[in-house]
Amino acid sequence: MIFGVTMHLWLGFAILALVLWGITGVTQKLSTNRISSERSFLWFCWAMVALSAAVLPVAGLHWALGTLVVVCSVAGGALNGLGAWTSFRALESGGKASIVISLVSLYPLLTVLLAVILLGERLTWMQTLGAFAAIAAAILLSLEEAPKTDAR
Amino acid sequence: MTAVARAGAGPIFSAREGRSMPVSETIPTRKRPAWLFWSLVTIVLWGTWGLVSKIASSGMNAYVNQLLYTAGLAPLLVFVAWHVRRNETGDKSQGRRVGVSWAFLTGILGGVGNIFFFQALVKGGKASIVAPVTALFPMVTVLLAVIVLGERMGRAQWAGLALAFIAIYLLSA
Repeated sequence: MIFGVTMHLWLGFAILALVLWGITGVTQKLSTNRISSERSFLWFCWAMVALSAAVLPVAGLHWALGTLVVVCSVAGGALNGLGAWTSFRALESGGKASIVISLVSLYPLLTVLLAVILLGERLTWMQTLGAFAAIAAAILLSLEEAPKTDAR
Repeated sequence: MTAVARAGAGPIFSAREGRSMPVSETIPTRKRPAWLFWSLVTIVLWGTWGLVSKIASSGMNAYVNQLLYTAGLAPLLVFVAWHVRRNETGDKSQGRRVGVSWAFLTGILGGVGNIFFFQALVKGGKASIVAPVTALFPMVTVLLAVIVLGERMGRAQWAGLALAFIAIYLLSA
């Protein structure tokens, strides 16, 4: 129990992911301040390849993996990458950044729906409230303060 | 807050990064705007990613998941590499090298973040909880942007930060 939060092992890993992904928000900004988002994305992908090569010796890869899990894992990479590309398209096709980013922040809602319907996951009412609070928080965090105009 | 983000996972390279692109501030009013279509497609793609990651995590460890994830990313990498090469400007400035270094670091951090995300699912985390928790990553970005980039947080972001902590408490219940 840390600050009233029950520290399940999975929650610890989820928070580590949250922290690292959060840091990438800044490093990504530092990158795209200097190079195009496209080139930045390319080198982001190359780093993924390098990381995968690095974890290969410890991954314990074997051929007894089920077809479904392999397809889902490979599809995961494709879905995530394509999602990045379509989010760029949304911005390039005239969407205001504050609206587009707030809108795409709704993606966990679909995950929740799919997991409940297809995987039979069940949430307590507090967890349901928490899921909605998380999505609302992600939207609020994506909102930029409007620049102050000089009244004079 | 300026262009920050992630893709995600999250969505790996987040949409926020796109703020550095030239973005028209005009929104078509008559026909259904293209940006709405692409935004909805993004929700479907990233939302489904959480589901397939949970299914994959039922039959493999987080490292193998990351390996196969990268294999799924490979076709897009080839396409983007081809596109970048076609639009090559020949610019070899110091700024470009620094930008590439930051992009590479982003990929490493994002990839390790992916491994932790998969590990959360392997260790019994429900997709319906892990996805909303990890989607709170902008709280770290916002705080770091204040500390590292000297940006200022608006009222909405302060509210979002407070709500994020409440959400984590509720989701852990």
